[in-house]
Amino acid sequence: MSGTKTFSMPLGPVHVALEEPVYFNLTVEGEIVRKTHLTSGHVHRGMEALAMRRNIFQNATLVERVCSLCSNSHSFTYAMVVENALCMHIPERARYLRVIAEETKRIASHLFNTAIQAHIIGFHSLFMHVMEVRELMQDMKETVYGNRMNIAANCVGGAKQDINLKKQEYILKQLELIEPQIREIQDIYANDPMVHTRTYGLGLLPVDDAIALGVVGPVARGSGITDDCRKDSPYAAYGDLDFNVITETGCCAWSRVQVRLRECYESLSLIRQCIDRMPEGDIRAPLGKLTVNSAVARTEAPRGEVFYFIRTNGTDVPERLKWRVPSYMNWEALSVMMKDCNVADVALITNSIDPCVSCTER
Amino acid sequence: MLDTILAILHMCIFPGGVFALAVALFFKALDRRIAARVQRRVGPPLIQPVLDIAKLLTKETLIPRTAHRAAFIMAPVLAFTGMAVCAAFIPVPGVYSGLTNMGDLLVILYLLPIPAIALMLGAAASSNTFSSVGFSREMLMTLAYELPLIMILLAVAMLVGKETGVGAEFSLANILSYQAANGSLGFHPVMLPAFVAYMIFLPGTMGVAPFDIPEAEQEVLEGPLLEYGGPLLALYQIGSALKTFVVLGLGVALFFPGTLCDFWPVNLVWFVVKCFLLMLVTLTVVKAATGRFRIDQAFWFYIKFPAVLALISLVLVWWL
Repeated sequence: MSGTKTFSMPLGPVHVALEEPVYFNLTVEGEIVRKTHLTSGHVHRGMEALAMRRNIFQNATLVERVCSLCSNSHSFTYAMVVENALCMHIPERARYLRVIAEETKRIASHLFNTAIQAHIIGFHSLFMHVMEVRELMQDMKETVYGNRMNIAANCVGGAKQDINLKKQEYILKQLELIEPQIREIQDIYANDPMVHTRTYGLGLLPVDDAIALGVVGPVARGSGITDDCRKDSPYAAYGDLDFNVITETGCCAWSRVQVRLRECYESLSLIRQCIDRMPEGDIRAPLGKLTVNSAVARTEAPRGEVFYFIRTNGTDVPERLKWRVPSYMNWEALSVMMKDCNVADVALITNSIDPCVSCTER
Repeated sequence: MLDTILAILHMCIFPGGVFALAVALFFKALDRRIAARVQRRVGPPLIQPVLDIAKLLTKETLIPRTAHRAAFIMAPVLAFTGMAVCAAFIPVPGVYSGLTNMGDLLVILYLLPIPAIALMLGAAASSNTFSSVGFSREMLMTLAYELPLIMILLAVAMLVGKETGVGAEFSLANILSYQAANGSLGFHPVMLPAFVAYMIFLPGTMGVAPFDIPEAEQEVLEGPLLEYGGPLLALYQIGSALKTFVVLGLGVALFFPGTLCDFWPVNLVWFVVKCFLLMLVTLTVVKAATGRFRIDQAFWFYIKFPAVLALISLVLVWWL
């Protein structure tokens, strides 16, 4: 205390506005947050250690369970890193199938984060509406892959299941349904006076800070930085597809949501292009030779760049598997965003980086 | 002696106490159902608010060791009794003309902030960080919405007083009889800004979106109510339900007290229907269509809109 008018306020690890456990110790003066101290580690499951005890096929199942919203990005990047270590080339059709699964998960993830923002500002009708629209994507995942969250679309060497013509038609139909609804949602988030007053100019992350902190994904793009692995180092079929990297220059929570919603259109277009251009053929390649080797792979998850490193020793159990997730890079930006913010806005700012605590703590 | 017994009956059975609580809980159930339908949910059964309170009453009372025991227990009792008494002052046009015939508008003005004050007292007594943030927010909100309320009541009193030649009329019975003779104040062009201001005052005083700031679940975890549970929380909820009846009933009495006929059950139902419509417009629909303001935004909102609207009515009454 030391004679000042500040007091400390705990936020978390279990808190209504936080989806996952993380603990903020806020030093508050009236309603203004003067200092933020963040402690995490509540959902550490020792997954990297577990990965070193399982073979490369079992690990595909393990890494998909690192987190739920970007589960596909983990199995995707993991499959890529193993393929790199084993010097494999996957069939053309599998490259497109992987993009379809990834972009479907991206839309669902972005809509989820957008909905949670409405929940935090107490706008329950909007929350329910966005979640209802997201349900179209959930239905699609369940119909095509048989599961709502962990869709197990990828395996080492290609894709786990093919998408036949009937399913392609169904996917296109769902996309037709969801597109006008996302447009409506984007309009609400852009122009609704209540959402606008609460989020515009909130949690500022100026471009200089964003670059210095090395933030990734929608957080970087919301600060006007053109940073997207899909464009910077094309993988799977992204090199052959047309899409734009969405950026906003507002540097605030409002811009980040706009980036996410506008990215949904790009994702819709990517899925359509994939279905249109997908060649016939195999969906899985035979396994390569296990040698002493190391490899890296990176992809653009909904939250930003996911990076995987593997070292193999000639057996089917990796000697080391290590991954770095986007939220790890974005966490530090919170201290900039929360500078002198309101107690009411702490949860809102935290949500604006779309934190994935389970991913970060592994 | 008979007067005292009658007054107590008015506080406990009609229109305060049992009647007000039944109406308010029924309204709360309807409110939840309608909000659920807006969000394409089914919503709880109509009996749910009663079940909620019944459940709370059977629970154990837990008091934090660091809390100030007496104040912690007194606060919900104060909120409940304050509102039960206040409900007895609300006239039901054509059925019941209010507890006294003199200055009851002033009494209501003094009794209305009691739940908010009790909430602050409870928050301060429960020695919890979130409660104290809730405390400061509740205080700011109270300051913000009490100002327009005072001006609205003053505008009504002065208008009626001017017309009847007594200066300012603070008797609700007289305000009602004036309106019965000269038409409802809600249709009076000068009083229109005051009525709009009253409609904006309602969500603030009831603490519903976009003004559910002191008890914001996502920000301060129910704030002042955080440490409360069991019967004490039930008392707060009953107090809050009674307050719904009081503020809606007061709105109807001040602006639309018209009756349909001389048969009292019809008037009673008509009164309840009008209260419901007022709730539907000011609480349910607004709640379903908005998020939550930040406390500073809400404070300035109240100063900018309802306070100015009420002031316009007040000045117009003064000049014309």
